[in-house]
Amino acid sequence: MNVEITGLTRRFGRATAVAGVDLRAGPGVFGLLGPNGAGKTSLLRMMATAIPPTSGRLRLLGRDPLSYGPRREIRRRLGYLPQNLGYYRGFTVEEFVEYFALLKEMPAGRIPLAVAAAVDRVGLGDRSAAKLRTLSGGMLRRVGIAQAIVNEPELLLLDEPTAGLDPEQRVAFRAMLRDLGQRATIVVSTHLVEDVGAACAEVALMDRGKIVFHGTPDDLTARGAGHGTGDAPLERGYSAVLAAARP
Amino acid sequence: MTATSAPARSRPGTRHPRPAAARLLRLELRHNAMLWMMPVAVALFWFTAGRKTLASPPLWNLRVAVMQPNAVLAFASPVAGAAAWMGSRESRRRTTDLVNITARPRPARLLTTWAATTCWALVAYLACVAVVYAVTAHQATWGGPLWWPAVVSAASLAALAALGFAAGTLVPSRFTPPLAAVAAFFALGLSTQLIKGSQSYWLISPVVAGPWDLGPNPEVGTFYAYLPDLPMAQVIFLAGLTAAVLGALALPTGSGLRSLRRSAAAVTTAGLLVAGTAVALAGTGRLDAHGMIAIPALHDAASDRPLRYTPVCGHTTIPVCLHPAYASYLPATEAALAPVLGQVVGLPGAPARISQAAATYQQGPGNSVGIGMAGSPIGGTHPVFHFLLPVQLAGPVLTTSEMASQLRSATGPGIVASVTGDGPGASQAQHAVTTALLMAAGVVPSHPAAPGAPTAGNNVPPPGPGAGGERYVAPPPGSPAYAAAQRFAALPAAARRAWLTQHLAALRAGRISLRQLP
Repeated sequence: MNVEITGLTRRFGRATAVAGVDLRAGPGVFGLLGPNGAGKTSLLRMMATAIPPTSGRLRLLGRDPLSYGPRREIRRRLGYLPQNLGYYRGFTVEEFVEYFALLKEMPAGRIPLAVAAAVDRVGLGDRSAAKLRTLSGGMLRRVGIAQAIVNEPELLLLDEPTAGLDPEQRVAFRAMLRDLGQRATIVVSTHLVEDVGAACAEVALMDRGKIVFHGTPDDLTARGAGHGTGDAPLERGYSAVLAAARP
Repeated sequence: MTATSAPARSRPGTRHPRPAAARLLRLELRHNAMLWMMPVAVALFWFTAGRKTLASPPLWNLRVAVMQPNAVLAFASPVAGAAAWMGSRESRRRTTDLVNITARPRPARLLTTWAATTCWALVAYLACVAVVYAVTAHQATWGGPLWWPAVVSAASLAALAALGFAAGTLVPSRFTPPLAAVAAFFALGLSTQLIKGSQSYWLISPVVAGPWDLGPNPEVGTFYAYLPDLPMAQVIFLAGLTAAVLGALALPTGSGLRSLRRSAAAVTTAGLLVAGTAVALAGTGRLDAHGMIAIPALHDAASDRPLRYTPVCGHTTIPVCLHPAYASYLPATEAALAPVLGQVVGLPGAPARISQAAATYQQGPGNSVGIGMAGSPIGGTHPVFHFLLPVQLAGPVLTTSEMASQLRSATGPGIVASVTGDGPGASQAQHAVTTALLMAAGVVPSHPAAPGAPTAGNNVPPPGPGAGGERYVAPPPGSPAYAAAQRFAALPAAARRAWLTQHLAALRAGRISLRQLP
C-alpha cells in the first residue's frame, strides 16, 4: 500500500480539521470527495508532508514521513498540486516545471526530457516559453499539474485539479489520470463528483473531518438509489451519504 | 493534455546537463530582483560615489578611501531591498507549501536564492569598481590598486544581502523590502556617529575606510605601506555576520535533519563569535604615526617600513622634489615656491633642495588629530628643506590655486626663515629681514591675531612646527621691525642680495640690529 493512514487527526487550535481518519490506498486513482470544510485539503497536506498530523499514524510509500530521511525519500517520489497554486510570475512554463524538478532532486541528466514530457502532457508544449503571468487560470492549473507529475511520482496528490479547466481539458485530464494511475497512487480531492465517476476506481467521502463513506463510485451511486438529491446518480449518492452522516 | 507518457516534441536531450545546483542557481539568477535593481544601484553609485571618487586627486589611496564608504552606502538600499524581496518571495507568491514539500532541504534552497542576489550585487559593484580603478590606473602617477577597500565593500554587499534576505524570510510582508532598504542605509550612516577617536569599536563599520577623524587621507600607502589591519577586521566581521545570519535561516524546525540544524546552530554561533572578535579587535585599533589604524593582533610589523620611491624633481634653481604619487602637483608647487626660492637662491645656507616629507599623526583628545612632520624641516651638509603639501593635511579638498596659495603662505616663510635663522628667540632684525624677503616674493605674511579671534574650527588642528613652516607671524604694522622690513623690501633685488651675501652670517648670529638694516 502506498498510503496507510490510521487514526489520523489534525487540529488547528481548537478546530479539528481531520478527526481520526483511517485510509489505505494502493496504485490507482483515489477520489476524495466532500463539501467545503470537510477536511480534504488538510488530509491532503498531511499526505503531502506539508504539515504533520496532531496524532495518528501515517505511512507513505512504505515510509514514515515524520522521520527526516524517509520524508526526504517520500518527497522525491511525491507530486502535489495545492488547491491554490502559487507561482512565480516571471518564470516561463518550462522554467517553473524545471525549478520543481530540481527541487525534487531529479537526476540532472533526466530533467530536460522530463520537463518537456510533463509540459507536453498537460498540453502546453507550444506555450513552454510563455511567462506564467501571461497564462489563463486554466493554463496555470495545467502548469501546476505539470510540476506535480514532472518527477513521475509514485504518489500524486491533487487538490481540486480540474478547477478552471474547460470540458475538453477536463476529459483529457481524466484520461491522463487513468494512465498515471496504472503505476502510481493518485489521490484526487474534489467536490466535482463527475471527476470521480470518470476517473476514480475508489472513492472516499469526507464530512466534518471524518470519512463517512469508502468504496467504489458504483457503491456510492447505489447509495443514492431512491434517495438524495442531484442531477446525476453519483451526485444523489453523494448527497444521500452526507444526509445519512449528519444528525 | 495527453494520456501518453512519451514526450511529444523533440528536446535538446543531448545537451550536456549541468549539475542541479548550478541549474538552480541559473534559474534564480534569471529571475532575481537584484537583476532589476542593478541599474538603480549603479546609478546611485555613480551619482554618490563614482563622480566624487573620480573628482578627487588621482591617488590610489585617496580614491579608494573615498570610494569605499560611498559605494557601500550607494549599494546598501538596493541590495538589502532586493534581498528582502527575494527572501519574502515564497510567502508573497504563496508557494510555501509547494516548495517545502520538495526533497531539497530548505536551507539549500534559500542559500541559492541569496547567492543569486549576492552574485548580481557583486557583478554591479565590481563593474563600478573596475571603471574607477581603470580610470585611476590611467591617471595615477605612482602606486597600484589597493584591493582591501574593494574587498570590504564586496563583503558588505554579501552581508547586506544576507540581512535583507533574512528579514524578508522572517517577516514576509510587502513592506519588508522597503523597510529593509531604508534600515540598511540609516544603520550604516548612523554607525559612524558613535566613533570617538581611533580606539572605537564602531570602526568596524564598513563605511569607515580609515581613521574616521581624518577622512580620506592621501598620505595612506604612499610614504609607508598600506596597513590592511582595519579592512581585515572589517572583512572578518562581515564574514562572521553573514555566516551567522545565513546559519540562522536553517534553524527553524522543518528546515531539515536535526544534524543539519545542529550544524546551522554551530555556524550561527561561530559566525557571531567571529563577528564579535572582529569588533573587539577593532576596539584595540590605534592611529599609527603614518595615519592608518593599526590593530596589534593583526598588525604585521613589516608594514611599518617606509616605501622606497624615486622622487620627481623640478628644474627650478633650487629643485623641488615630490613623492611620485604627487607628481601632478609638481608644476603648481614649483610655481608657488619659485618667488620665494628666487629670494634665497645662492645665499649662504640656502637649501640645496626642497623635498616633500611624510606627515606624522597623533591622536588628540576626542576626535582631534595632530598632524605634523617628523624631525627638523632642514638638515644635512647640503641642506634639504622638508615640507608637507597642503593636500597631505586633513581638511577640505583644495583646488590647485588654493593649494598653491596655502603652500606659498605656509612653506615660503619656513624656507626664508631657514636662511635668515629666524625662529623662536631670533632678533628683531632677523624677523624684519624674513618679512622683507616674503614681501618681496609676494607672500603676504599674517599679523598677530587679535585676542579672542577664532582659530581652526574643525577637529584637525592647524599644522604644527614640522608641517613645512608654521604659519609665520609678521611684526605688527607700525612697529619698528615692520618699518625696517618695508624699507628692506623696497630695496632693489640686487642691493638686497648684495647686503645679504655680506651680512647674512652676522644676521644669523644675531649681531645685526634693526638700525643696521639698510
